[in-house]
Amino acid sequence: MTRRVQITKGILWFITGLAAAVTVVRFTRGLGATTVLSDTTPWGLWVGFDVMGGVALAAGGFVIGAIAHVFRRQRYHHAVRPAILTALLGYAAVAVGLLYDLGLPWNIWHPIIFWNPHSPLFEVAWCVMLYLTVLFLEFLPVFLERTRFQGLYRTLLKLQLPLIILGISISTLHQSSLGTLLLIMPFRLHPLWYTPHLPELFFVSAICLGLVMVIFESSVTAWLYERKPRMEMLSGLARFAAGGLAFYLAFRFLDLWHRGNLPLAFENTFEARLFWVEIAMSALVPLVLFLIPKVRHSHTGVFVAASLGVAGFLLNRVDASGLAQVWATGTDYFPAWTEFAVSFGIVSFFALIYLFIQEHFPVEKEIADEEERWRQRQLFVLPRFDRLSQVWLGDRTFASRRVYSLLFVVAAVLGLTLTPWRPLVEASPVERARGGEVLRVGFPLGTVSFPHADHVKRLGKESCGTCHHLHEPGDVGTPCTDCHRDLYLPTRIFDHVRHVRKLGGNAACARCHPAGAPPEAETAEKCSGCHRKDMMARNETVTRFESLDAPGYRESAHTLCIGCHRKEAENPAVGKPDLFRCATCHHSVVPHGEAVLEASLAGVRDQRPSRTR
Amino acid sequence: MIQNPCILNDVTRCIGCEECVAACKRINGLPQEDPPPRVGRSRDGLSATRWTSILRRPGGINVRKQCRHCNQPACVSVCPVGALQKTPEGPVVYDKSVCMGCRYCMMACPYGIPHYEWSSVNPSIRKCILCLEKLRRGEIDRPACVAACPKEATSFGTREAMLAEARRRMAAEPGRYLPHIWGEHEFGGTSVLYISNVDLSFLAWESPEAVGEGPLPERTWNALRKVPYEFLGMGAFMTAAWWVIDRRMRLEREAGSGGDGEGGTEEGADR
Repeated sequence: MTRRVQITKGILWFITGLAAAVTVVRFTRGLGATTVLSDTTPWGLWVGFDVMGGVALAAGGFVIGAIAHVFRRQRYHHAVRPAILTALLGYAAVAVGLLYDLGLPWNIWHPIIFWNPHSPLFEVAWCVMLYLTVLFLEFLPVFLERTRFQGLYRTLLKLQLPLIILGISISTLHQSSLGTLLLIMPFRLHPLWYTPHLPELFFVSAICLGLVMVIFESSVTAWLYERKPRMEMLSGLARFAAGGLAFYLAFRFLDLWHRGNLPLAFENTFEARLFWVEIAMSALVPLVLFLIPKVRHSHTGVFVAASLGVAGFLLNRVDASGLAQVWATGTDYFPAWTEFAVSFGIVSFFALIYLFIQEHFPVEKEIADEEERWRQRQLFVLPRFDRLSQVWLGDRTFASRRVYSLLFVVAAVLGLTLTPWRPLVEASPVERARGGEVLRVGFPLGTVSFPHADHVKRLGKESCGTCHHLHEPGDVGTPCTDCHRDLYLPTRIFDHVRHVRKLGGNAACARCHPAGAPPEAETAEKCSGCHRKDMMARNETVTRFESLDAPGYRESAHTLCIGCHRKEAENPAVGKPDLFRCATCHHSVVPHGEAVLEASLAGVRDQRPSRTR
Repeated sequence: MIQNPCILNDVTRCIGCEECVAACKRINGLPQEDPPPRVGRSRDGLSATRWTSILRRPGGINVRKQCRHCNQPACVSVCPVGALQKTPEGPVVYDKSVCMGCRYCMMACPYGIPHYEWSSVNPSIRKCILCLEKLRRGEIDRPACVAACPKEATSFGTREAMLAEARRRMAAEPGRYLPHIWGEHEFGGTSVLYISNVDLSFLAWESPEAVGEGPLPERTWNALRKVPYEFLGMGAFMTAAWWVIDRRMRLEREAGSGGDGEGGTEEGADR
């Protein structure tokens, strides 16, 4: 095992550890805590990268199968087994990624019995299931080759060609179905991406991605295990890839031109820039690089071009399923670190499985053989204590395994401490009322009318404490927003440090925390015990002087207002039976409020390009 | 209950009192206070606990938003397991026991109607179901929101009756309305209609005129119905290609080595 392999595996184990931590939170707290997905962006990185990207990355399996077995190019036979292994693991990764992304993952098998052939996702689900089976059968001979099940091995080898053709057919279907998936959302997907030819485009790009992925993967494996890359095969694949990329570019631009959307690519918008970055990374630059013979015949050259291509086509899938929809929804979505951790963690985990299979089974025979020799040589060397230097001299497998476990555990602990255990909530700070008749609080209820002078007149001056139930020290009539700072979220208003300092340090603990009881908030002296002057606790609806947190503005205002309003509404003497209804206070009557609202809406809509379909 | 039930919203009559919202929350057992909004929430006020909301527009215009119960719903067509169904009567309903939580319906709805219980570990898709169960049992004769409206800004009847009523109102007071019934044709027609004095294309992510008014499910079905032919076609093409190439290679070999090259080519190549 080379040093490169060890370092790579260490990194992969670390990322897997992070993902393991997020997994715990994902399945105990739901999607709310582990993603920043929302009702406007229901699909994010896990669909774009894990599912759409994963399926596309696995395209190498059927492309190489077709080249080597159907078109009988002997030169590429060495690439078949690694490519099929990648496809097998890629689809397994897609299934695992789906388990994270589905809200009800225990129902993942439902497409087997509940059928809706009108849904592209139904087709994708079936294709993934079928293709996983086909890939497993295609790869099984590798597991069986060095075992005593030679009969089964030979049968499977005979079945290889039909299996490969079946695999090609299934792949054709679902690679294009992933494009079909987006056909139903012309209103979300930017016209630089949306086209009725999305299925065909996805199929062509999957072939390109499959080719560059095989190049990428075999050059990485060669580098990892310090083997001589099969340059003849790689440069041949690069030539195929160049053809595919040229076709893809021509298809994409002709389609844009044909629909009259090409000018959109030259506007100064986020989408246009994104489009060019994607096109350059996925097709343009790799195509140019592959066309230069010197690059095509160099290990570094094909590696750089292929990695660009892989990243570019992944970006294409992420664009189509998320980034190119931002313009329509107007919400900016950037994945939380937990989403990245899971996405990369799944990839890392399956990469580790890939390396394990490479080392233990004859995928690329040289690697497995070498590892085998190495294992045999090391088999009986146990760690030994060296008296001279006072250290244990262990064999490297033993040592590196310990390091991997350590990295995994450290990452898992790190992840568990960093993951938010609660759903992510948007902060909605409340504006302080400034003497007018209107409280401007959050969208969508807009403004709340509150005639302050009218309330003073109606209730009398001595009733101030009904609403202004708590003052900051030395203040009179402290506004609600000083403590209830957010519309929905509680505000921490008790400052422990300040109290400790003011009361004279540790000696004063007993002023609030009674002796004998644990020094906790529950057992401590209530605020009102000392702050008699500041607490004008006349209002029986205000019950939470004991709490360290002031409740959100909405909750506190509703508790305060509705109780009183309902009582007044039921009083026939007042003659206002509708006083407790929402519309009494909630209506946007102020032009200013509407202008603000319109501006916020206009901000979203003005950036939209005009479009033709 | 009546066939093809439909709601007609008259924007010019709505005073934005939100009695419909309160009534909807009561009849569906939703909490009166919505939980704190999620990062990136929708701007129309709809949420998993608020199935109808009032959008306040400049000039004192109030527009009620709710599920449109499309005639050819995109959400129903994309649901891979059929958890969302268009009932024989017309309303689009949801079956939690079938759903797998893929949220494709949320992506496919042009109005952004289905909402999700993000903070739950056992989440559901939530949206207006037009009070279907209670209507079926005859407990109520019209949806709670319609019953609660103090201004008759929202009315209930068959789709034909509502279209006729909309035309009647537009003919009676021509200056009061724009000459368009929103929901009559958009995306194949909806069962919640609007008449208004302002343009209502903001109700959808993108105005239906810009992306084409046809039913959305047609777009995916056009591609999906070719699937069997693609499958067989690709299989046949690959088999034919293999046969031709294999035969040519065998002939070449026979010509080269004097007719001794039968069998074992595949296995030899694979090693």
